[in-house]
Amino acid sequence: MDNTNSEEKRMIEILRGVVDPELMVNIVDLGLVYGVKYNETDKQIEVALTLTSPGCPMGGIIIEDAQQTLENNYSDCTVKINLVWEPAWSIDKLTEKGKAELGYF
Amino acid sequence: MNQIASQNAPSPKVVLPHYIFGGLVLLVVTMLIIYHPDAFVQHFFNPELLAITHLLVLGWITMVIFGALYQLLPVIMEVKLYCEVLAKFSFVLLGVGTALLAFAFWRFAFGFLMIIAGILITISVSLFVANVLKTAYTSNKKIIERTFIISSTLWLMFTVLAGLTLAINLAWPFLKVSHVELLKLHAHAGIAGWFIQLIIGVSSKLLPMFMVAHNVNAKKLNYTFYAVNIGIATGIVSLFIQLKLGVVFSVGLVVSGIVAYLSFLVEAYIKRIKKQLDIGMKQTVLSFALLVIPMFLIFLLLTNFNAMKRLSLPLSIAYGTTIIIGFITSLVMGQTYKTLPFIVWLKVYRGKVGRVILPLPKDLYSEKVALAQTWLFAIGFAILLLGVLISAGKLVMTGGIVLSISVALYNFNILKIVFHKPKNK
Repeated sequence: MDNTNSEEKRMIEILRGVVDPELMVNIVDLGLVYGVKYNETDKQIEVALTLTSPGCPMGGIIIEDAQQTLENNYSDCTVKINLVWEPAWSIDKLTEKGKAELGYF
Repeated sequence: MNQIASQNAPSPKVVLPHYIFGGLVLLVVTMLIIYHPDAFVQHFFNPELLAITHLLVLGWITMVIFGALYQLLPVIMEVKLYCEVLAKFSFVLLGVGTALLAFAFWRFAFGFLMIIAGILITISVSLFVANVLKTAYTSNKKIIERTFIISSTLWLMFTVLAGLTLAINLAWPFLKVSHVELLKLHAHAGIAGWFIQLIIGVSSKLLPMFMVAHNVNAKKLNYTFYAVNIGIATGIVSLFIQLKLGVVFSVGLVVSGIVAYLSFLVEAYIKRIKKQLDIGMKQTVLSFALLVIPMFLIFLLLTNFNAMKRLSLPLSIAYGTTIIIGFITSLVMGQTYKTLPFIVWLKVYRGKVGRVILPLPKDLYSEKVALAQTWLFAIGFAILLLGVLISAGKLVMTGGIVLSISVALYNFNILKIVFHKPKNK
């Protein structure tokens, strides 16, 4: 997410409001958000999102929550959440804050 | 969007009645322990203990497992449940069949009532097995967890057919082997073949998922699968032909398989990313600690020391009690908090995100009540076990009282979860 512009960075901050119901940590600090692309001309937002496990029973709600959260903040935009499995999520994706919230230290 | 597990979830109407019925049966069982504690301090082939045991294994444990599996099969196998109607029929037949069977045992009435109950349970299990096998058949996930689940359901079928045969044999004897030995065969097919294998199959997928543990060596589970299945088959044949050495060999094999599985769980626990355990996982840890007791007791029971012979009856009941009430009941109670809130949460909040206040699944039950329930369960079970070991009916009754309070709290939380309503923003 190094090439993100300021608006995309703001969107990522907004996505911190979406919490994984099982782990009780937001999806950004869990490293589930692989990228956000904002097309200002088409008014389109695309989010690349993964889950901690393909069998995660909470997947539907997390996606719905992410979609709703962005739509509430960008009502003039189309939001598309793309579920991706490559690269597979691992512990390396956690931020320092995420690790701390999981009691990792 | 890719296929995700929650899109395959069945209707909660299929799942929830199993939890409510199971919780109420467990409460009834604790009342029966209080009402007739002597069932635990005499030979295990007594009417009250047979009634209590069948209420526990069928009306409580198998009932909740059926409900939970209808929810979990889509998670594990990543396909929809084959047929929800079959599941509803199976629920009714299992409930009615178990009630009739327990009544027949309590009255020690061997005959048509017991056989009719056995037939209802057999039909219920056949519907369940067909549903699981058809669901597994449509799945592309050829994983060890799937193999365990398929194998466990086949052992369940064997167990209920063996039970029905025993019921017929009690009314009209035709088998030459001692009924008590046949009962051991029936019980171990159910305990090791159905419960233990099913628990291994489901938990080896779910527990690492709940703890967020990756790269756990699943090859250990292959050994577990062969050790447990070869062990049970050898044990059943050995019990039937009364070959002691074969029984000892089979016990060693099954226990070694369980040890391999426990080492898998320990590895997952060490590698877990989610360090803090919630109340459901704490009770799960307690249940696995309790599993060590029967693994030790079975070897004691197989020894031929004179001192052991005098203790063999209380030890036999302690062995069954630690498996069914100690290990499996506490595991099912703990895992209820890891499954039921999510089932209800998904039902209530799917499609309502943004319009209602979104709580966490753990907010659907009282954590304080769950904590009190866990402690009371541990204390009640310890008192009950002590009462069994020293054949003291009053201690068994005291244990039953403490357990009944624990189970009442558990039922309170179940109903709180099931009847949860969303709050508008």
